[in-house]
Amino acid sequence: MGLRLRVLFLMLIACVAHQTLFAAVRWGDVRPHLLLLMAVSAAIVGGADRGAVIGFLCGLLTDLFLQTPFGLSALAFSLVAFGVGSVQSSVIRSAWWIPLLTALVASATAIVLYALLGAIVGQSQFVRPVLLLVALAVGAVNAALAPFMVKAMSWAMTDQAESSFAR
Amino acid sequence: MAVYRRSARPRFVLLLLVLTAVTLLTLDERTGGLGVVDTVRDTARDALAPVRDATDSAFRPVADFFQGIIHYGRLEDANNRLREQLAERDAELAMVADAQRERQELLDQQKLEFAGDIPTVAARVVLASPSNLDLTVEINRGRDSGVSPGMPVVTGAGLVGRVVDVSRTRATVLLVSNPTSSVGVRLAASGEVGVASGRGARSPLQVDNVDPATKVAPDEPVVTSGLQQSIYPPGIPVGRIRTARIPPEAVQQEVTVDPIVDLRRLTFVKVLQFSSKP
Repeated sequence: MGLRLRVLFLMLIACVAHQTLFAAVRWGDVRPHLLLLMAVSAAIVGGADRGAVIGFLCGLLTDLFLQTPFGLSALAFSLVAFGVGSVQSSVIRSAWWIPLLTALVASATAIVLYALLGAIVGQSQFVRPVLLLVALAVGAVNAALAPFMVKAMSWAMTDQAESSFAR
Repeated sequence: MAVYRRSARPRFVLLLLVLTAVTLLTLDERTGGLGVVDTVRDTARDALAPVRDATDSAFRPVADFFQGIIHYGRLEDANNRLREQLAERDAELAMVADAQRERQELLDQQKLEFAGDIPTVAARVVLASPSNLDLTVEINRGRDSGVSPGMPVVTGAGLVGRVVDVSRTRATVLLVSNPTSSVGVRLAASGEVGVASGRGARSPLQVDNVDPATKVAPDEPVVTSGLQQSIYPPGIPVGRIRTARIPPEAVQQEVTVDPIVDLRRLTFVKVLQFSSKP
């Protein structure tokens, strides 16, 4: 399976899982955001460039099922994924907790950014005191799932020819 | 001498994506929910509906399992509480018949004709909000079943919200607790009218425009006012008064209302095929 096809395949799986399985799994009123996590994981694995593109596509998929203006999640996710990719490129040593921390901070940032951008385009109802709490909770549940998603994205975004050459 | 230059490509890609997103946002805003974007949204929702239905039944046990783990402590407490309540319930049974008679009398007095002869469409809630910030639910009935945007949605207990978006087989319901939701209401005892607005998932509704001279009692029922051009018919129970207070020199009371329907545990609802147009 080609690289792009694998990413699209994973995106579709994440979208369906987000709309079904993870729609029922709630912690308080908060649920994991798989498509956002995928955008962040893509940036961790593939860097700013690829992360932004995949973040944008994941955002568009998210927007398809929301009532908010179309393109709002795409904008927020691509900006955050770009930021994650840029920061990731300057990390010189790897540790198991870095993807977890990145997923936590990036997911929380994306939720806040989404709400702020929403307020700019007339969706001011998102900016309320509970926003920070929701953002942190989404960040926490996404961080718990981050190792699996990063692994999946590594599979999807690693060129087979490149990896066999490395071997 | 080799000079290190940071590639400008990622920034160019980001700029392109941001411009595309802004274009899409503008396009969606300009067409006002009638353009190509909404057609795409409706098509995607209808296309995913069978997949959702199939996976929902397959994943439900898994989701229930995780829910059980997440809420184990709460479930144990709830179990103990239910046992105690069951014992108390036996004693209360004798009082229920009398209370029901009183309630019926009260409803008759207030002329709370709930739904009346308005045609309804029964629906199942198939999805809680896909967003962590928007308070909506998705139901398994759409245009094909006669559901249209603006129609009120109720349960046997009272008002749930209104339909805001409809595809062929699905509809999105904006809950009364959503901060963008406003409902014209009437306080059952005084007849005073106001506007109940949502304030979030765990917060009571806030009722504005209640005169400071009006006597508002805790637990007083609040129903839809059904005033002219209202999208809700009159008399649908909305909630019960939680608090009412008059701040110094205020021109209106600060009134809060607990929704009568448990909006976090919706399973079946009814869409009222009601139109405010004469």
